[in-house]
Amino acid sequence: MKNIQQIMRSTVVIITLGLVFLSCEKRLDDLRENPNALTTIDDAALFTKAVRSVFQGTTDNASSHFAGMHAHYYVAGSTWRAPDQYGDGHDGDYNSILNGLYGGTIRHIEDVLEITTAEGTKNPVRNAMADVIAVLGFAKITDAYGEVPYTEGGKGKTEDIVQPRYDTQESIYRDMIERLSNSIAVLKNADPAEGYPDSDPIFNNDMDKWVRFANSVRLRLAMRVRFADSALSSATVALCLDEPLMESVDHDAFMIETEGTGNAWFNRRTGFPSIKMSTMLIDQLQSTADPRLPVFVSQDGNGEYSGMINGLTDVAFGGSDFANKSDMGLQLSSPESKLYVITASEVWLLRAEAALVFDNDPTAANTLFRMGIETSLHQWEIDPTDIATFMGSPSATLAGINDEEQIGVQMWLALVPNYFEGWIHIRRTGYPIIPVREDADLHPGVTNGIMPTRFKYSSFELGSNTNNVTEAINRQGPNAIDTPVWWDKN
Amino acid sequence: MKQLIFFVAVIGFSISAIGQKTVSGTVMEQGTSLPLLGVSILEKGTTNGASTDFDGNYTINVAGDEATLVFSFLGYKTQEVTVGGQSVVNVSLEVDAQKMDEVVLTALNIQRDKESLGYSISQVTSEQVNVARENNVMNSLSGKVSGLQITQSNTGVDGSSRVLLRGITTISGSNRPLVVIDGIPINNGSGGAGGGGGVDRGDALSDINPDDVESISVLKGAGAAAAYGSLGMNGVILITTKSGGKKDGVGISLNSSFTLTDILLTPDFQNEYGTGAFGDFAPLNLDGRPVLDYPFSWSWGPRMEGQTYTNWLGRQDTYNPNPSRNPYKEFYQTGFALSNTVAFEGRGDKGSFRLSITDEEGQGIVGNNTLNKQTFSLRGSTNLTNKLSIDGKMTYITSKVRNRPQLAEGSGNTALQLSLMPRDIRLEDVANNTINASGEEIKWNLDNTFNNPYWALENAGNFDEKDRYQGFLSANWMISDKFNVTAKTGMDNIVFDYTTFGARGARAIGNGLGSYRHDSGKSRIWNSDILATYNTDISNVNVSFSLGSNYRDEFSSYRNIWGNDSKAPNFYRISNYKNTFSDEGVTKKAIYSFYALSQFNVGGYLYFDATVRNDNSSALPKENNSYWYHSENVSVLLSKILGVSPNILSRGKLRGSFAKVGNDTSPYRTQAVYNIDQTVTLPYTVASIPGSLPSFDLRPETSESWEVGADLGFLNNRITLDFTYYQTNTTDQIMAVPVSGTTAFSSKVVNAGKIQNKGYEAQLNLIPFDSDNFTWTLGFNFTKSNSKVISLNEGLERITLGSLWTASVEARPGEEFGTIYGNDFLRDNFGRKIIGDDGLAKRGERVALGNINPDWYGGITSSIRYKNLTLNSLITIQQGGEYYSYGRGYRLFFGTDARTLEGRENGIIEEGINEFTGFDNDITTSAMLKHFTDIFSNEVATDLILDASNVKLREVALTYDFPKTVLKNTFIQSASLSAVGRNLLFLYNAAGDIDPEATYSSGPTSTAFEHSSLPSTRSYGLNLKLNF
Repeated sequence: MKNIQQIMRSTVVIITLGLVFLSCEKRLDDLRENPNALTTIDDAALFTKAVRSVFQGTTDNASSHFAGMHAHYYVAGSTWRAPDQYGDGHDGDYNSILNGLYGGTIRHIEDVLEITTAEGTKNPVRNAMADVIAVLGFAKITDAYGEVPYTEGGKGKTEDIVQPRYDTQESIYRDMIERLSNSIAVLKNADPAEGYPDSDPIFNNDMDKWVRFANSVRLRLAMRVRFADSALSSATVALCLDEPLMESVDHDAFMIETEGTGNAWFNRRTGFPSIKMSTMLIDQLQSTADPRLPVFVSQDGNGEYSGMINGLTDVAFGGSDFANKSDMGLQLSSPESKLYVITASEVWLLRAEAALVFDNDPTAANTLFRMGIETSLHQWEIDPTDIATFMGSPSATLAGINDEEQIGVQMWLALVPNYFEGWIHIRRTGYPIIPVREDADLHPGVTNGIMPTRFKYSSFELGSNTNNVTEAINRQGPNAIDTPVWWDKN
Repeated sequence: MKQLIFFVAVIGFSISAIGQKTVSGTVMEQGTSLPLLGVSILEKGTTNGASTDFDGNYTINVAGDEATLVFSFLGYKTQEVTVGGQSVVNVSLEVDAQKMDEVVLTALNIQRDKESLGYSISQVTSEQVNVARENNVMNSLSGKVSGLQITQSNTGVDGSSRVLLRGITTISGSNRPLVVIDGIPINNGSGGAGGGGGVDRGDALSDINPDDVESISVLKGAGAAAAYGSLGMNGVILITTKSGGKKDGVGISLNSSFTLTDILLTPDFQNEYGTGAFGDFAPLNLDGRPVLDYPFSWSWGPRMEGQTYTNWLGRQDTYNPNPSRNPYKEFYQTGFALSNTVAFEGRGDKGSFRLSITDEEGQGIVGNNTLNKQTFSLRGSTNLTNKLSIDGKMTYITSKVRNRPQLAEGSGNTALQLSLMPRDIRLEDVANNTINASGEEIKWNLDNTFNNPYWALENAGNFDEKDRYQGFLSANWMISDKFNVTAKTGMDNIVFDYTTFGARGARAIGNGLGSYRHDSGKSRIWNSDILATYNTDISNVNVSFSLGSNYRDEFSSYRNIWGNDSKAPNFYRISNYKNTFSDEGVTKKAIYSFYALSQFNVGGYLYFDATVRNDNSSALPKENNSYWYHSENVSVLLSKILGVSPNILSRGKLRGSFAKVGNDTSPYRTQAVYNIDQTVTLPYTVASIPGSLPSFDLRPETSESWEVGADLGFLNNRITLDFTYYQTNTTDQIMAVPVSGTTAFSSKVVNAGKIQNKGYEAQLNLIPFDSDNFTWTLGFNFTKSNSKVISLNEGLERITLGSLWTASVEARPGEEFGTIYGNDFLRDNFGRKIIGDDGLAKRGERVALGNINPDWYGGITSSIRYKNLTLNSLITIQQGGEYYSYGRGYRLFFGTDARTLEGRENGIIEEGINEFTGFDNDITTSAMLKHFTDIFSNEVATDLILDASNVKLREVALTYDFPKTVLKNTFIQSASLSAVGRNLLFLYNAAGDIDPEATYSSGPTSTAFEHSSLPSTRSYGLNLKLNF
């Protein structure tokens, strides 16, 4: 009797344990799936992410903390002012900017490119649109740092590459131009239904505008390589002029940030540290009676436009009355202010430069130059009589001497508020002229007073992708903020 | 009442008893004839038992005359008596000097003779944690246990503590030991803010009520903890709470304590120069107020000599030093902590119970920071039959903390604001001028990282509510006297609700628009165990063999809502905000395990233990989700083998232990996913890809450790010494290693890295005097623990574990874990600073500047008893270890620190050589520019690395036990009154004016950074214990 009881007990125990074991295994399988996220998705939602991040990038740290001050648009106060002194002690920024550029646009567009070429989800139109966005993303990265991982860059997930090789900027530019040409060819004859009908944050899936957009970006890249590879530059410009380009403000690539607190410049204008517009910008606008002055600059407490000198030493800054200078204009820095990636105004001015230097046609250049200025004034909704007045002033006509400088200065103004492009433009053309800092009140920084020409590779990059970044430094030159990138010959 | 329970118990006992003979008697201590309470009486060969009451009396029904009674009691030699014809059996038990306090609680709540253990274990009694009471019971262990390092962060009432056992073993894990209460592992996260600000919401350990603690066992090595599987990898702290007591009948006990908290340490401030820069006042703005931006909001103005000037409010004022000299200290108040516990406990033959209620009220040194907490605990056990008993417990803890202080760079960090406030500003002006006519905050500094502290007190705050349920149910079935099965299930369930808010009008909060946030969530850990144990003797070897299984289920979820731009003033509900956001998530994980334990006891002088365990985790990929551990422990009692007289060598034990432990990871790291972004205005969908790359073939990580040690006792254990050497290698660590940003991702989950952790620890106890009226015991403990990073992921040079401003704490191959890196000055080959023509030093390379790990640390405990008066004291010592103080850096370049007086009038000539001439520098620079350039512009950390060495009088408690003769005619059975003090003073502090423990979080590397911590506090008060 006792034995039977014990056997029964053991049997019950064994069966129970067996059931427990099986149900446990089942339970573990159920729990492995992440309930907070999806494992597959329509690439449209990743495309919108990448596109938005291109626009949001125009107010990122690279643009607002570095480029805007390097390009002498404004001066930030207090703890934000350091880059204005041409210092390079920004290792953390150099790293986070790189992370932001790859982690925003590139991370998501790489996934889109993979989905739109994979069997079953293949879509050439979407792929062509995504390529334009990818090029915009990579162009900013290489313009900021010089050589960067491109063919292997951004492929941590899609190809499991955790230490990507660096590419020369020349090869990156050649490939980017080719990608844009391919995209233009596809988009010219594309069925809009194949694109992103309800998921295009820029042009509402208008294929004509996408072709103009892609072609205009191609023109920008073509002119960027002008001094490094004139043949590639002029040949590409010729291709661009055969296809439609952005011509009016209707073609502008802009986005209004409606999420959160809107345009990031709103919080920067109203928050801390203060940002004050530069003496150089205010002087330019005032001396030419440019009607964009009240658009770009707010009046100070005395109802005047007073600018800050860029690059002051700590002592000179202390005595500069910074707090009472002019803020950024409201049209640039309200929650609903537009974020621009590329505008018709920029495209006209690029064409003016091309006509002048490739076609040796000053008359055509002047017409294009004036189109550029006028389009910019339209972009800021300047009163028509003020437009007429300004178009009649000497600043709106090429004088025949220093035409490149005149175009360069107008380009600097037309690029506002895309300060990052403004900095690149000055690096490429040398216009407007940023004097070398020699005055005792000005800080020469680590560049002997010369405007920085790139960001450094961060110490984290040097420690985590050592061999590849070292190879790039060996090709490109010292990892310093005054080493010119490939296209930078001025 | 007492009689009634006893009566009921006796009746119950009579009904269930099947014995044919009743035996009764008294058990006393041999020599003193003191009655012994709670002696266990067992009828040999059965589970039939009884225990003695308060007067040492017992009654038991036995089978007959042939029955043998076994009398056993902790600390006494066990005695067996054959009943024979007797009906009264009186027994005197002999004190077992050798065995005193030797029974310890080990893994899986198995009580073991300490002699039999092959690994190091320390036990702490309830008096050691509930007299000089701390809100967080872990803080009471500081300095009392070798190998255990506790750092009490300085973050307001109910703050968290950093807890490390034998140092760091994993690069990215919490490194916190597992905490087990009554056999149930509980939630044990760390807390704290980041360098950028935030609050410390406390850790899960601060909910352990010190008054309910019976004892704490600290199982240090993996060998001790292997039975807990991966959870025990960092050691285990076993907490046993009080159960029904040792006496029959009902008792009531009260424990009340009241302590005051005030400021122990403040930074050294200068009090001679006020607001301004370059020795001048700030220029005036159009509104008549001075420029309130840098550098003019610093204290680098003229010397304060009674000049007339325009003060920060734009008013004409006299420029004089603060009359109070220290407005920083003046802002804070004396806090308090009041705690009352009442416990009812009872015991009868059929079971026991304990019901306790604790109320805690407290207020911090920041006036609006308060704690209100209640703990209700019910514990009961019953013997359903002679063979089946049931034990259960339910604890409910409800706490409300208001206004946890903001820390570090947080705009509401009062310590930051006050320590940087220009030295001419009067605290009453700040208090009386918080809001201007247009509803905006008035402050002396435009910087968004600053609030007016009084504005923040009135207009910003937080409310942290937590409800916690813990409980277990266990059943023990004595199938025979050799075979025993225990099943147990227990849960730790936390529900939290946390609200933060800030009014409109302060730039620092929602850019002037006001903000609100409400986080709520819950977490649950549910553990179920079944353990069967078989025990037998094979010739002279006692063998015990156990088989068990465990199922652990973890669940947590959260829902957060937040918004900015308030519509109506001072109304904190989400509907009142124009922009609103929300977020939610769920995390689930389960592990099931099987384990086997065996113990061999050869003749009482050789013990051998082995453990095998298999875990299966849902956090690992299916192919790799099963992993094994094992541990082997051996203990040899030399004193028994050699037969040395206990008067000379009373204890001589050698022990050794080896363990291999695996570990899983947090869930959902093996799957690539997409998140849907929360958007409000967009007509299209936006999704994003997380920045951490998953791993599809993750393996469990492995830790192998061994330890050897000796426990020695001399002169009847008047001198005892425990010594342990240990080493742990942790390999294949699961971590998200940072990857190059050019991958488009920030990290990738991998198995990588190896850390070697080794060290030794020693505990020496002395009893210099021991007599009836006077006893003095002294304890010394010593720990040296080092963790070296052997390797990281291939191609990875370093992992940054934390950073503040430009200093970081890093793991680099070949270096000590937790090395602090920062920029040094530029130096020549002889280490001399290179000085520019502006007289300023230059930034040099980024180098190792220190390490968070102390060279060694320890504690000295002393207990002196004279008659009924006992004086306990504890001194803790840390030698070596460094930290980076950004707080001091701030005070230096803001010119408020006393050290900034140097060179104010005549400038500073930096020591070093001129960069062009190579001669000694003779160029003068201004003190303000020097500090600003070194610390802020050049980001040099060298001068801000401070030595953490310190000696602290941690605890003093003077206790008077009321004599039994006084209490004899009252209803009070025992009473004691203590005067207690904690963290009373620094006997030595290398850094001088900063507390090296004043961190803002409690993670593994939190001690690396100090940033304008709240002033360190000391507390002192009274504790009263009464038993009825």
